Amino acid sequence: MGLTDGTSGGDRGPEAVRLLLRWLDDIDSRSAVPLYDQIATRLKAAVGGGVLATGDPLPSVRQLAAALRINPATVVQAYRLLESEGFAEMRQGAGTFVKRAPAEDRERDRQARARRLVRQLLADAAREGLATRDLERVWKDLLKERTP
Amino acid sequence: MTDAAIRFDQVGFRPGAGFAIEELSLTVPRGAIYGFLGPNGAGKTTTIRLLLGLERPAAGRIEVLGHRIPREAPQALARIGYVPERPHLHPFLTVSQSIEFHASWHARFDRPWAAKLLDEFGLVPDRRLSTLSKGEMGKLLMLQALSQRPDLLVLDEPTDGLDPVVRRDVLAAVVVYVADYGATVFISSHLVHELERLCDWVGVMDAGRLVSTLPMTEFKDGVKRLSMRGPVERLGPPPFTVLSTAGQGATGAVWVIDGWRGDHAAWFHAGGVTLDAVDDLDLEEGFVERLRALRGGRSS
Repeated sequence: MGLTDGTSGGDRGPEAVRLLLRWLDDIDSRSAVPLYDQIATRLKAAVGGGVLATGDPLPSVRQLAAALRINPATVVQAYRLLESEGFAEMRQGAGTFVKRAPAEDRERDRQARARRLVRQLLADAAREGLATRDLERVWKDLLKERTP
Repeated sequence: MTDAAIRFDQVGFRPGAGFAIEELSLTVPRGAIYGFLGPNGAGKTTTIRLLLGLERPAAGRIEVLGHRIPREAPQALARIGYVPERPHLHPFLTVSQSIEFHASWHARFDRPWAAKLLDEFGLVPDRRLSTLSKGEMGKLLMLQALSQRPDLLVLDEPTDGLDPVVRRDVLAAVVVYVADYGATVFISSHLVHELERLCDWVGVMDAGRLVSTLPMTEFKDGVKRLSMRGPVERLGPPPFTVLSTAGQGATGAVWVIDGWRGDHAAWFHAGGVTLDAVDDLDLEEGFVERLRALRGGRSS
């Protein structure tokens, strides 16, 4: 009797999994944030980044656990979290699929991710002795480059 | 029917002069991936030999998959896949002959899956075992153990001495097996970091004793590094176990403690000590600190 009964569905193609793994390869078991939480956050980012679209299947539990060499129960936990947040749907016997989250949830999640990124940047900058105005200048320059 | 895959109750064993296993009590829940940690010579392999019925305990009781060991070892062994620390296969056999030989002992042996793993692991069927590299031998042992479709997988340092690529393949195969069959895995290793993502239970052995056995989350959550300032020396007896201390209160002291709870911050506050940081330790640090505290306590 497997852990993945009812949620395994079909495995995804190796190329699809490899593409997704790029979003997941920096999960860190030493972080204070639990692994399942890190995985859920990164999968949401992958949806935001266009790697996964609404209705796409997520990798099967065995596939993702094997690729990351983590406990399959951790992947199940991550998928359950995504489901409880409305970002995924577990269909009995078919697998777990990306679900369109309500607009306000997506907005809230986008803001949370942006805040996390900026906080990380500010912390890194402080460690390297960079002032906020250094960052602001570079920020403006880079935005100008991107919008001709 | 018992909910434990492995149960040791007050087991004693003395293989020779000096080293001994004493009063070893250990429970591995069914479906767990149990990481069995300890330095070389801690008694990990001896414990595994006891659970397989290869040694007879002098005292206590051992039960594996509901069977009494060593009396019912044959029934238990039919359901256990074992990857030993040192290869025990016949060197004159070829890879495919070795797999056939192994299959003939195991009624549930899954030949299609063995063939699939053979391909995935890149093993050559006609090669003699005497010509295999350490990595190839490790993969063959894992292939044979997994294809038995065991209810319990016992792995003794399964990745020791293997290169990183082979390690990944071998661990991925274990993960797939657990996902598909929900088997219990008992994995001994001194490569702590490797087990951190995989295991949901941790047991630590040292000098023939079990130092601790906990779910991984508790093992990691309980041990914290506390940074503090203030009259540390005037604090009373703490409500947790102090594993190690460093520094002075005035300039800042650092404690590593076991059994942390959020409300313990109030205890420092009441003593006039400022708690600057409460940091997590990773599995390796937690393991090393627990071991060091235990050894310090024993020698004093």
